Amino acid sequence: MEEDAGEEPGLGRCTAPTDFHFYHMDLYDSDSRLQVLPEESTGVRREAVQAERTYEPRGAREGQAHRALHEEADELVHLYGLEDDHELGDEIMDEDTPRLGTAEYPPYGVKRGDPAWEQRDWRLGGEAAEAEDLGFGGWGSRGQCQDLREAYRYTHGRASEEYECYVIPEEEDEEEAADVFCVTCKIPVRAVENLDAHKEHEVTPLNQALESAKDEIHKNMYKLEKQIIDMENFASHLEEVFITVEENFGRQEQNFESHYNEILETLAQKYEEKIQALGQKKKEKLEALYEQLVSCGENLDTCKELMETIEEMCHEEKVDFLKDAVAMADRLGQFLKTKTDVEISAQPDFEEQTLDFSDVEELMGSINSIPAPSAPVINPQAPNSATGSSVRVCWSLYSDDTVESYQLSYRPVGDGSPGKDQAEFTVTVKETYCSVKNLMPNTQYEFWVTAQNRAGSSPSSERAVYMTAPSPPIIKSKEIRSCEEAALICWESGSLNPVDSYTVELTQAEAPQAWGVTESIVGIPTCEALVQLQPRQNYTIYVRALNVGGPSARSEPATVHTTGSYFHLNKDTCHPWLTISEDGFTVMRSERKTPMREPLASNTRFTRCVAVLGNLIPVRGRHYWEVEVDECLDYTIGVAFEEVPRHEDLGANRLSWCLRHTFASSRHKYEFLHNKTSPDTRITVPPRRIGVLLDYANSRLSFFNVDISQHLHSFSCELHRLVHPCFSLEKPGCLKIRNGIPMPKHVTFY
Amino acid sequence: MGAAVSRVDSHQPQKRNVSSCRMHCVESLCLIFAVLSISHLYILVFFFPPGSSARGADKKKRISRRMALKQVSSSKSFGGFQKVFEHDSVELKCKMKFAVYLPPKAESAKCPVLYFLSGLTCTEQNFITKSGFQQAASEHGLIVIAPDTSPRGCNIKGEDDSWDFGTGAGFYVDATEDPWKTNYRMYSYVTEELPQLVNANFPVDPQRTSIFGHSMGGHGALICTLKNPGKYKSVSAFAPICNPMLCVWSKKAFGEFLGPDQNKWKAYDATHLVKSYTGSQLDILIDQGKADEFYDQLLPENFIAACTEKKIPVVFRLQELYPVILTRSWDTTLRLQDLSQFA
Repeated sequence: MEEDAGEEPGLGRCTAPTDFHFYHMDLYDSDSRLQVLPEESTGVRREAVQAERTYEPRGAREGQAHRALHEEADELVHLYGLEDDHELGDEIMDEDTPRLGTAEYPPYGVKRGDPAWEQRDWRLGGEAAEAEDLGFGGWGSRGQCQDLREAYRYTHGRASEEYECYVIPEEEDEEEAADVFCVTCKIPVRAVENLDAHKEHEVTPLNQALESAKDEIHKNMYKLEKQIIDMENFASHLEEVFITVEENFGRQEQNFESHYNEILETLAQKYEEKIQALGQKKKEKLEALYEQLVSCGENLDTCKELMETIEEMCHEEKVDFLKDAVAMADRLGQFLKTKTDVEISAQPDFEEQTLDFSDVEELMGSINSIPAPSAPVINPQAPNSATGSSVRVCWSLYSDDTVESYQLSYRPVGDGSPGKDQAEFTVTVKETYCSVKNLMPNTQYEFWVTAQNRAGSSPSSERAVYMTAPSPPIIKSKEIRSCEEAALICWESGSLNPVDSYTVELTQAEAPQAWGVTESIVGIPTCEALVQLQPRQNYTIYVRALNVGGPSARSEPATVHTTGSYFHLNKDTCHPWLTISEDGFTVMRSERKTPMREPLASNTRFTRCVAVLGNLIPVRGRHYWEVEVDECLDYTIGVAFEEVPRHEDLGANRLSWCLRHTFASSRHKYEFLHNKTSPDTRITVPPRRIGVLLDYANSRLSFFNVDISQHLHSFSCELHRLVHPCFSLEKPGCLKIRNGIPMPKHVTFY
Repeated sequence: MGAAVSRVDSHQPQKRNVSSCRMHCVESLCLIFAVLSISHLYILVFFFPPGSSARGADKKKRISRRMALKQVSSSKSFGGFQKVFEHDSVELKCKMKFAVYLPPKAESAKCPVLYFLSGLTCTEQNFITKSGFQQAASEHGLIVIAPDTSPRGCNIKGEDDSWDFGTGAGFYVDATEDPWKTNYRMYSYVTEELPQLVNANFPVDPQRTSIFGHSMGGHGALICTLKNPGKYKSVSAFAPICNPMLCVWSKKAFGEFLGPDQNKWKAYDATHLVKSYTGSQLDILIDQGKADEFYDQLLPENFIAACTEKKIPVVFRLQELYPVILTRSWDTTLRLQDLSQFA
């Protein structure tokens, strides 16, 4: 390859490889190597001009040579990673290509074009690399260099190559990427040359140094970002403060201005009033004085006239004088009698005028002080804000009032009886609410409130009626009835006044996963609730009473087991001869003849048949209970409608379905009685424990011998209404009723 | 085969109502089968509507391959199938038929199985055509098996001479006397061979097996239970022969089958068996029509008395207005108590 290229005349190919090798050794410059290419192309051009006729073989050779060179350049590029250098060659190629094309050698153009395109591609890659590599400097000078090179290329041929050989390395020196980074000197160091100087220093690979530097910068950037965010937040906060302060001051100014204007107005008004009053007084006084002056003058005139008349008289004849003197004396006497008022009617002195500035002073004072608050507004009772003994009263105030404290007064709302006026209580609080304690449950209280500050106290608010929550109800545990699907809970109100409703809360007692989960049934108007439940669970049940004030505390808990059915005997139906045990589940007929008590005047009590009814939960589901009997006892058990005739035997009518056992002469007789008829059935093993299954869904009543899981009989009965368990004893003995027993598996098929 | 066809014809009018088309298919099938005597399974595939038959055909194929069960008829009934099969009995050494009701539930799960033993003169057809038990069995998911009452076609002299002995009157005993002892082994057939066959070929739960029967079959049900404590979950009998040693029909049969020694008879007498019963808890239900003309032959009181003495639980129901046990009563016989045992 080298040789091929070397054949070209005047290209100094011999030196070029040595140069190349030298630079290669020194990690220098592919540029110089690439310079071969422009040289080559110039050569080619020259050649082409000179030898037109032989262009074809030469062209082929030329192309080959060129490609060879090109590959070399390639190699170098790969070696050094200095892609930017391609730009140089590429430019040259670009220049060359069109030139060749215009030189009427299309094959050349085509051939030369191919590598040119390749190089262009590389250059693109190279540029990208350059863009990344910020460490490179000296770009500006490089452009100049290229210009220079261009200039040299045409004029000096080889000289340009030499020139570049010198120029470019210098340039490259700076551009050269350092291999390591000296931490001590904080400079990048080329691996080969300057490593000695840093021998003692701590060095790291350049990439690592770069990474760590980047990290540090990133860290700092992060800090800065944080600071910026903080500052921005602070700035916005400041802005807010600024606006608030501005607003507040604005408001203050406005306030002050209005006060000031008010005072000025008041003063002006006062001035006006005073001036007017003074003028009035002045006018009055002057008028009075003037009048006095006038009358005084008149008097003076009269006196003078008298004097003159007297003087004239004195000059008259004696007779005339005497005559006139008498008349004169009278006239004088008369005149003198009239009192000459010499007192000054109007006080000439200026009366001391006291100027009353108290209201102005007050106004002045009010600039700094505050007005007395206006009446607070008491809120109506919030739901669930009360307990049995306390209420939480809330009120509010006009926002610009200043209040130091409130006085909350209350008293129970009387029931209208005038004689029983309830005592009032007052508490002083600072807040706009107060929890008033020690109240009576389920009672209405009237509340009103006044606000106070040093300027005085407000009028009192409207009166609001609050109600305390009711006291907890009391569950009648003994009357709870249940079956597998439901329970009927009864309770007593516990409060004297009526309450709005009741809430039943239930938790599954033995379900750890559902621990604490409480189901509530709300809005129960009566003291009784039928609650749907899950079968075979234990429930703890609480009841709360509710009124407007809120719910009461929970009642004492009651427990419900939804296993089997659970009912009680209805003592009202109990025949007088029967006694029911303490626990309510044993029915006894005693041996001794109970004196026949007069049956109470009630039509609920059995009179003929010695029986009692149970109170089954009113749920049309499946009910199961068991009865323990003595083998020799005569008994009747079954179900009956509520209104089953009390004077008839059970099973003797259409309102009852019963199993009757009679034991006579060591024979057991079992009858399944309804409407006095029974199928003829014989049972070989007398049951001691009888299971009774009442199934509304299938309209069946079945009896079982529990001990041996034997089905004894099933009635198909039309149960349009609810039936109740019934028990009767035809002979002294006792029946034990067993409630809350899970339905045996075998009975579920009947 | 022809006989089977005619029996189907005469005794199954109600089934025709259910699906007359299907019945028609069965009949034609049987005829073709009789004529061509090629495997009916494939014909079934052709003759039955595709939707219902494809799966059934599969099942049938499986059954036939596994054992020597031959389906004689199959009728849709209350969502399930009432089928009759024929097989070569090892115990009885003849071809035997038995009826199987497969409830809809049997397609997806193992079902409890209930055996019904018929009375004198009956075949497997009486119960399946007259009783209408299929409705209850379908609802409760019960497989009901009704075997024949005796070996047939054994060519034993005197076999067909009387209605109460021989053909149609096997009395559910294993005969020990010639010439009967080869074929007349109905006890072993109903307690061993048939259950094995059924358990192997139908989706049954062998743990939940019960038995009931009528008249001679009631006797059979009682002795099967009493002789195999724990094998049957419950037993019910409708007008059973309760004390066959004292009943004229069975005295004759026992004498022929078991010989003159009455002590050997006790092994097949429910009233005697109950006196020595020591097995697991029983649950016996007996229904008896009050006006039954054969009441004095059945002697339920003897059985009741024995059970009372032994404290074996029986509920004995004397039904009004049933002179003889008639079709209407079959559903009562399929009592709920039997179902309960399958819980």
